[in-house]
Amino acid sequence: MSTQVPESETEAETETEPAGESAQDRRMAKKAAKREYRDSQKKAEEEIRAAEESVHLKVFRYDPEVEDKQEPRFDDFYVPYTKGMTVLDALMYARDHYDSSLTFRHSCRQAVCGSDAMFVNGRQRLCCKTQLSELAEPVRIEPLPHQDVVKDLVVDMEHFYDQMHAVEPYFQSEDVPTEEQRQSRENREKIKMSTRCIWCGACMSSCNIAAGDNEYLGPAAINKAYRFYMDEREDEEELKEHRLRILEQEHGVWRCQTQFSCTEVCPKDIPLTEHIQELKREAVKNNLKFW
Amino acid sequence: MWLLQRVTAAFLVLVLAFHFFLLHFYHHAFEITFAGTQTRMQDIGYFATMWLFLVTATFHGVNGVYNALVNQGISGTPKTAVKAILGLAGLLLVAQGTRVALYMNGFLA
Amino acid sequence: MSQSYNRGLVEDFSRWKEFSAGMWAWIFHKFTGWVLIGYLFTHIAVLSTAIEASSASSSAISEGTDVYSTTLTLLESTFVVRLLEVGLLAVAVFHILNGIRLLLVDLGIGLESQDKTFYASLVLTGAIIVASVPTFMAGLGGA
Repeated sequence: MSTQVPESETEAETETEPAGESAQDRRMAKKAAKREYRDSQKKAEEEIRAAEESVHLKVFRYDPEVEDKQEPRFDDFYVPYTKGMTVLDALMYARDHYDSSLTFRHSCRQAVCGSDAMFVNGRQRLCCKTQLSELAEPVRIEPLPHQDVVKDLVVDMEHFYDQMHAVEPYFQSEDVPTEEQRQSRENREKIKMSTRCIWCGACMSSCNIAAGDNEYLGPAAINKAYRFYMDEREDEEELKEHRLRILEQEHGVWRCQTQFSCTEVCPKDIPLTEHIQELKREAVKNNLKFW
Repeated sequence: MWLLQRVTAAFLVLVLAFHFFLLHFYHHAFEITFAGTQTRMQDIGYFATMWLFLVTATFHGVNGVYNALVNQGISGTPKTAVKAILGLAGLLLVAQGTRVALYMNGFLA
Repeated sequence: MSQSYNRGLVEDFSRWKEFSAGMWAWIFHKFTGWVLIGYLFTHIAVLSTAIEASSASSSAISEGTDVYSTTLTLLESTFVVRLLEVGLLAVAVFHILNGIRLLLVDLGIGLESQDKTFYASLVLTGAIIVASVPTFMAGLGGA
């Protein structure tokens, strides 16, 4: 595995030392570490020569705590290409062989956790889902736009989570039936796409309105609200009214200008704009009722 | 509010197209004289359409500008100020426009 | 805005090549909107010469020598104004066509082909402008 540290001969040497740390031990350990690092770099170069092609990555670097990286810059990495390699694979290779301080979020590597949404070649994408073969070189990797950068490719997702929580994304029915709560096939079909959200934040970061207006709920939050509003298992009128009231505030659904960027970048292909439009129509119909 | 913007939009699509057509293709802009304008404005149907045109266009435009600014993120005091200024400007425009229309019509002289 | 370091907004215009169709539509619609509202105020101002004209003598009115008619004729005789009128037509036509596109989207029609409809509205705007230029430029140079 690429994250495994390559074996070296230092183990044999340290075994013959007397017990207890000494300056010699520490020096030897340090030397060993340096050797490992050199070896892994060498390994990378060999692999590049061995591989038919290498991919040129330009990665955004920024670290407020390290003097060198207080001014954001782009680092170049050359990564050997193997068939089927994703951007995440490339980033992990770069981190393991070139610069272990390269920081980014990732987890499942199968497009279900939503951790590794980034701005790749000018577009929000999930790194684990994006093939290097479909990108033009050099591959530019930047953190998600319109959010504070914590370090390198990691952004502060708190604002996104705040907006998601603001729509109360949980069932609130007081009276539950004694037997199972049933949902018809058609209803499930209707909300099926809206349940796929993985909270990656790509949509919100692609929306120009979300960029300008800090209070805008954002496509992800509104989609979440849609998922609950349209679910027939929560069918009390007052609950629907309550949800609608959250959505029809000034910075709710009305701020959407149907730019469609959210729908374009969603890695789960959720028709976000369509859902937002449906909710707008619901709000209008609801308001007209009281005339 | 959103609905009203859409409704005025639909109305304006038709009336603006009509206005342009009449004054640039049917008549030509360089042929416009006060006499000609007077004749057109004396027709009550035309006058009413033009006045509605003025009101809906002002509403649609001012509301549009206000929303564009909210999208860009104004809030608090600047927002209240802008709301007031835009509202006032809109009302003044409609007032002046109505006045002009009535002079063209011959109602005021 | 939430930026600890300003990397430039996504819609920072230096990255315009990365803009999507929907983004262009939004930008153009906003821009043409501002132009049109600016024009509306100017238009009413110009037309306000009618107030003075209405009190002119009837012979002046029939001859077209009242201040309203003379102002308009004077404006229409300059190339700059003619050019601006073509520009106004472009702005208005685009705003109308994209506006129709948005109205359809609001009704739930055409969401899948929204980028195609945007390009269609651009093309149509161009076509209408080109077709209208002769009419708009007619009568220049003293009519």
